[in-house]
Amino acid sequence: MEKHTLMITEKPDAAQRIASALDVQGKAKKMEDNGVPYYVAKRDKKIIVVPAIGHLYTVIEERKGRNYYPVFSFRWVPRYLAERGAKQIRTWLETISKLANDADMFIDACDYDIEGSIIGYCILKYACGNKEDISKRMKYSTLTKEELDKSYAELQPHLDFALIEAGRARHEVDWLYGVNLSRALTIAARDWSGKYATLSTGRVQGPTLRFLVAREKVIRCFVPTPFWSIKANVEIADSTFEAEYEKEIIESKKEANIILDACKGKNGEIEKIDIKRFQQMPPVPFDLGALQSEAYGLFGYTPMRTSNIAQRLYLDALISYPRTSSQKLPPAINYKAILKNLNKVSEYKKLTAELLAKPQLKPNEGKKEDPAHPAVYPTGNLPERVLDVSEKNIWDLVVRRFMAVFGEPGIRQSMKAHINANDHRFYLRGRQTLKEGWLRFYGPYVRSEEVLLPPIKEGQIINIKKIILEDKFTKPPPRYNPGSLLKRMEEAEIGTKATRANIIQTLYDRKYARDERIVVTDLGFEVVETLKKYCPTVVSIKLTQELEEKMNNIQLNNAKREDVLVGAVEILKPVVEALKEKEKTVGEQLSNAIKKSRLDERTIGTCPICKTGKLMTLYSRKTGKRFVGCTNYFKGLCKTSFPLPQRGTVRPLGKNCRGCGWPTVQVRIKGRRPWILCFNPKCPLKEERRKRIEMQNMRQGN
Amino acid sequence: MKCKICDRETSGNEYCELHARAYESIVKKYDEWKKALEISWKEYLSEIAKNPLTGEWAREVAEHLMKDGEEQNVAKG
Repeated sequence: MEKHTLMITEKPDAAQRIASALDVQGKAKKMEDNGVPYYVAKRDKKIIVVPAIGHLYTVIEERKGRNYYPVFSFRWVPRYLAERGAKQIRTWLETISKLANDADMFIDACDYDIEGSIIGYCILKYACGNKEDISKRMKYSTLTKEELDKSYAELQPHLDFALIEAGRARHEVDWLYGVNLSRALTIAARDWSGKYATLSTGRVQGPTLRFLVAREKVIRCFVPTPFWSIKANVEIADSTFEAEYEKEIIESKKEANIILDACKGKNGEIEKIDIKRFQQMPPVPFDLGALQSEAYGLFGYTPMRTSNIAQRLYLDALISYPRTSSQKLPPAINYKAILKNLNKVSEYKKLTAELLAKPQLKPNEGKKEDPAHPAVYPTGNLPERVLDVSEKNIWDLVVRRFMAVFGEPGIRQSMKAHINANDHRFYLRGRQTLKEGWLRFYGPYVRSEEVLLPPIKEGQIINIKKIILEDKFTKPPPRYNPGSLLKRMEEAEIGTKATRANIIQTLYDRKYARDERIVVTDLGFEVVETLKKYCPTVVSIKLTQELEEKMNNIQLNNAKREDVLVGAVEILKPVVEALKEKEKTVGEQLSNAIKKSRLDERTIGTCPICKTGKLMTLYSRKTGKRFVGCTNYFKGLCKTSFPLPQRGTVRPLGKNCRGCGWPTVQVRIKGRRPWILCFNPKCPLKEERRKRIEMQNMRQGN
Repeated sequence: MKCKICDRETSGNEYCELHARAYESIVKKYDEWKKALEISWKEYLSEIAKNPLTGEWAREVAEHLMKDGEEQNVAKG
């Protein structure tokens, strides 16, 4: 029987694309074995491309059971042995093993990063029967035919073992931290209260939650301070402009009133005009973090959502590999070819033509590098299917950023006129773009304001129409949002580009945090406070950074995986022992926080009828159905109750209805748009809505 | 000893660590308010208690101090 080459990819989409790119006719044959797809490509010989579905292997404890800790011995096993609901993995691995039997050459074609390398390594070692040492590696950053052809022709002779060792160490260290600390917290709370609730923390999750808690403390302790600011409405050439007083912050009302009295009814004279020109350099190419931040700022997409969209665009060969920390675009990616292809899109026609006419294309690169991949860039391929709005947005953003980095610097001019009114100075400011440069390429995503001033000259007398005194208060620091938290994690160098967005999501899933402008829940507070009190090292940012550095050193062949693991266990062991010793106290604190958090989840607001009780989600003993009732019912004081939808989730909004002031909840049912429910049957908004529908029906009837 | 506001354990003080921090913030900011508006401590507490920008714990402490002050006045009267 003819032997074939077996190629492993990370995802089915990538398998199909790679197989088609390598097939001489560009049409790989799709096959299936027990529902597992694989592709057969004909080239110099038969190539079978079989995909994984992400990680097929994971780490578990040597000894069975989940009700104990500490755990320091582990092994790698197929995921179906470790996770419920991963049964499909068994058939998947059986198919791969079967296909490996008749193979005489093995190629790891998973994404070229830590996760991809681990996925490929585990499959080659465990499912293919120790083929990791004879396997070759395909390295590519885009799924375009050209790059895949080149990558296949220039196969790396062996796997990148340094990357694999670093990846194994990361998985193992994170598993050790996660399993021991999470079990310590969960078991402590369960044993104290007798009720189970999953609590988790980890090497990166703990310090990330700590960032949030630190900010939350500042916000909750914040006391605003009053201050005043003064503005003048000035008239120039029949138009009114706003000038601000020389002192931005006036700290006492008395002083503010003195200034106001002195300037009222007076004309101003332009004493001086300062004009400054400055260059605005083009942006640097996107690394994943910058793309996630920009997409959050422009479209409100969470980092996780952007990462998923970018991954889809990568699998469609529209953009390069997104999980990169590089801000470099090497000439090898062929700038001209990409621009020429993008020139076929009407929106980019003029812009790409302008860049292609330049004698030399040189990107404005940033400092950050990634040994495995360049910055995110468009491949030049055009969509073969209709992109949804979010995919279109991210693709357009990547395309425009790519063009912008080749643009000339923009030239902006700022103008500041000093207006003297009775010896008090006001500043009138203008800003304009003199030369657009790269700003034109970045188009809709440029955030710069244009304030054009009419011609003015020194000595000119200005009519001050009105002086405005504004009462203000200092504001607390802003809450983190998923975008700014991701940036903070990047700055602190904790987590990796591939894991940060998931860690933020876990904080929401565990109910440690809520809302888009992140609010830490009491449970989140208690977890951090408990860890800080009994094992401060595990929420230490410094310790996490040190571990990250050690793991990076494995990748650079400067440290051994075994040594890093031993070091991690040495830190973890006393921590877990300390937690075990204080299990009762820890359990009590966490249980109280869980109880409060569960109560908060069910508390909707003050009862609008008796005004003293609280409206809560309750369950009928007879029917088991949920409804809203007043807590004063149990004291025999109030019988207020309202029905609730029996399907979906009901979340108290913490806001009162704008129509009647009654408490409200948000109802979410799968497949329907979430809606806000006010319990007041006589709410004026309901009445308005009813009338509107009646009118519509009448119109339709006519 | 329990915190007078939230029942958390304290290290022998009137407030828990979190409310103590809010109390410190209130005391520290009074000088700025006095300079800005020439107001008394009582007026200051009432102002910050109703200000929407005041943090949750600072508001709880301000309300507690106001209530405490009233109770002391009643006791003295």
